[in-house]
Amino acid sequence: MEIIVCLKQVPDLQQIRIKRETREPVLEGAPFVFGAFEKNALEEAVRLREKHGGKVIALALGNAKLKDTIIEALAMGADEAVMLTDPAFAGGGSAGTAQALAAAVRKIGKFDLILMGEGSADNYSGQVTGRVAELLDLPQITYARALSVEGNRVRVTRDLEDALEVVEAELPVVVSATSELNTPRLPPLTAILKASKKPIKTFTPADLGLAADQVGAKAAVVQTLSNLAPEQERKQVLFEGDADKAVDELLKALQKENAF
Amino acid sequence: MTDKVDVVVIGAGLAGLSAAYFLADAGIETIVVERGDFPGSKNVTGGRLYLNPVRPFFPADFWNDAPFERPVVKEKLSVMAEHSSTTVELFSEKFRAEPRPSYTILRAKFDQWLADKVSEKGAFIIPKNKVDDLIYDGARVVGVKATDSELLCDVVVVADGVLSFLAEKAKLRAARDPHDYAVGVKEVIELPAKTIEDRLGVSAGEGAAQLFFGSITRGMVGGGFLYTNRESISLGMVVGIEALKQHQPKVEITELMELLKARPEIAPLIDGGSTVEYSAHVIPEGGVRALPQLVGDGILLVGDAAGLGLNMGITVRGMDFALASGALAARAIRDAKAHPSTPLRSTQDVAPFSAVLLGAYEQALRDSFVVKDMQTFRSMLDVLDNPRMFSKYPEAISSIFEKMFWIGDQPKEKLSSTVMREALKHFGNLDAVQDALGLLSV
Repeated sequence: MEIIVCLKQVPDLQQIRIKRETREPVLEGAPFVFGAFEKNALEEAVRLREKHGGKVIALALGNAKLKDTIIEALAMGADEAVMLTDPAFAGGGSAGTAQALAAAVRKIGKFDLILMGEGSADNYSGQVTGRVAELLDLPQITYARALSVEGNRVRVTRDLEDALEVVEAELPVVVSATSELNTPRLPPLTAILKASKKPIKTFTPADLGLAADQVGAKAAVVQTLSNLAPEQERKQVLFEGDADKAVDELLKALQKENAF
Repeated sequence: MTDKVDVVVIGAGLAGLSAAYFLADAGIETIVVERGDFPGSKNVTGGRLYLNPVRPFFPADFWNDAPFERPVVKEKLSVMAEHSSTTVELFSEKFRAEPRPSYTILRAKFDQWLADKVSEKGAFIIPKNKVDDLIYDGARVVGVKATDSELLCDVVVVADGVLSFLAEKAKLRAARDPHDYAVGVKEVIELPAKTIEDRLGVSAGEGAAQLFFGSITRGMVGGGFLYTNRESISLGMVVGIEALKQHQPKVEITELMELLKARPEIAPLIDGGSTVEYSAHVIPEGGVRALPQLVGDGILLVGDAAGLGLNMGITVRGMDFALASGALAARAIRDAKAHPSTPLRSTQDVAPFSAVLLGAYEQALRDSFVVKDMQTFRSMLDVLDNPRMFSKYPEAISSIFEKMFWIGDQPKEKLSSTVMREALKHFGNLDAVQDALGLLSV
């Protein structure tokens, strides 16, 4: 079976810190990675291919550094990659991103299954699965925690937190993955080495037949007005003097805060 | 089938990246394996990079887009006594002229930039992977072992840093002696650029470097340092590990660091800043005597892994050594690769990439500024490894200046008498004469 996995390149959240004075995130120096849920999607795709044969295409959106990040997807087992790195794609939000992905999927043409993460690591709007399915007129199944394919049908267990729903649909279909779906593999050195030799294509908006106002910020329907960390009030209480006394006071203060 | 490449470089620090850059430039298939999340993620410098020694190795325009923090135009050296300090400050137009002799850098940023240069040249950098061991064919190194995979190669460039367990596994170096290493801690303290420039008295975009010696290390070999970055100050402290081990009563370098930050000379410089990074690292300070065997069959050591660091007292170096050693290693590998096709002069067979061929690297390093500087300053460690340097003399120097500047309620004597008497009191003894001779030998 032919599987397309959609991946969004994001700055590694663990490497981002918040500037105290402005509450803005400092992205400088943070390396780029794929979101965790997208790795679950990719892992599932590779497992399906290992079981049923076929091909996995990593369809990734990102900046000029995506050619480094994409190696990880290819090393995990994607057979080939399609990159959307044109700066015109940037800032599209859920709507613009979905437009670009849907157009790229149409361009790729042949597929049985589209897999993506339940939400991106940075914005987590959780809308792209639905929007892509709508644009391609396909059924969508969200929040998959288990997935199997029998013949022409896919069976998915949806994780609804308080309930598990099992659904079936006929392929092709768009499915979003949760972290419970699997544990993504860590590719060994040699797989990474081989990944650098796998085919990588790059599509521009023109390649996808998208006009300037159909991609990027012009296609966005929601404008981000600010992106700041919540204000954090620190109590900054200092217990000084005799150590024994100070510890007692600290304990009392912590108890008062219901810290235990 | 196991994969094979020409060269595997272990570690994406300055030495490893430099080697990979020149290897790729020579058309040699090179893989760099880095255990951190990205090149630079685990690397620490004080730090300042001296560029003049390494400029000849790199293309003239190489540094144009480097993410330098600030060029250092002001050098300060502070001798710290318990309750006083004396600072010598050098400001020189020579240090402001292009090309600038040194820049402060932050490694997370700098190493990523260098890694991009290396990738552009065609070397392949693989982060988040750790090389656990080497693969041998007899005594010859023929590859590396990583988690779940093996990779064969002609040559392994060991650039895994100061503790280089691989150099030890390859038996190129004996077990480490604490005497040959120092430990450093550093805080990166964020402040607005204008504040930094005002406090350190430098023009917009320019920077200062300051070293601190004396009571702050309680008689132990070491010192403090301060470097200005674009929008932060790097403040830290280095102490010899053996000295720290022997010190009574026990003291942690982190405690000394807190005391350094609280010194009234330093506290106002970092006031209002927020610490955005706290790091610690081991530093090679064994000098030329502690150099390991630099090459073996199919293997060579570069940078910190080769023990290439030098404490020259008022300047501390390592990153320029790392860059140069990487470049020289790449040259030797390139020449060794070309060798089998040229007729051998000796009657003895020379195996491809054998220690004999790679030995050209060791020779080149010895002929370069790296080992020459280490040789010239070889006795610096003995001179510095002397508690008097860090306690008695700083007190003496400050005491002389204190008396010179002090106006009390008694008539003041001639300056010459004050200086004479104080100098005789503190330096007119055999120890001091010996220490002075020691310093002169450096």
